[in-house]
Amino acid sequence: MSDVGQLATSLRRGTLEFCVLAMVEFEDRYGTEIVRRFGDEPGLAASEGTIYPLLSRLRRVGWLDSKWAESPSGPPRRYYGLTAAGRAALEHFRTEWVSFRQTVDRLVGTGEAA
Amino acid sequence: MKTQYSDVVAEYLREVDLRLAGLPVLQRRELLADLAAHIETERAERHLRGEAELIEVLERLGSPEVVARAAYEEAGPLPPIVAPPSPPLPPMVTAMPPRERAPWVLPVIGAGFVALLVMMALCAGFFALTRGAEPTTPDVAPITAAPTAVEAPPAPTPSYTG
Repeated sequence: MSDVGQLATSLRRGTLEFCVLAMVEFEDRYGTEIVRRFGDEPGLAASEGTIYPLLSRLRRVGWLDSKWAESPSGPPRRYYGLTAAGRAALEHFRTEWVSFRQTVDRLVGTGEAA
Repeated sequence: MKTQYSDVVAEYLREVDLRLAGLPVLQRRELLADLAAHIETERAERHLRGEAELIEVLERLGSPEVVARAAYEEAGPLPPIVAPPSPPLPPMVTAMPPRERAPWVLPVIGAGFVALLVMMALCAGFFALTRGAEPTTPDVAPITAAPTAVEAPPAPTPSYTG
């Protein structure tokens, strides 16, 4: 694997799941919708199919819940929503992320010019 | 036409399924159902016609290997109540695909897990002893020894040569 790919993988690990949580923070979304959204963002998901195992884990740890619903335009959709625990995890991540990002910016020299 | 689509999709799903033999059955079914629903949704909502367009959907999903690897990674720390998340799974994943090996995968993972627990218990005991006896000596030897010992379990997997 190239160094570039490796770096992207490493950076995704630990952050991608919170992007998923944020995506369903205000309204429930169905799987394909979440997957498409990630497809539009460069460098976020390795491939669309890897999002579903992630959704599964987030559901198993109790950060997401899911329910199937009929669709007007196709097969039934599986909608994902944030649980109270998921909301707390997302808030915690936001706090951690800001301080983490600031530290990295300072050390690597990628912050705003002071 | 519809059966033609289904052939490609069914083959793809089967290829994924073959690589999920080591997963709990419910997770395996869940993933296959999610993938099938995704493909169906794409087909219906994007009005796909023709095998080529459908293959594009499958390509965006990723190869069965990639999807299965993600499934194992996400399932890694599955029993978090038993042990902290130091997954012995990743090394196994690359050795997974051949179907014939499937039956012993779970036992091997289990063995690795047990070995890990034993190692951690030993380390904890050892640290407790050393700390009690000589608090100032930073004897880190057990830490460096641990990883190699943990990786040992996969090695003795039966090598039926010839």
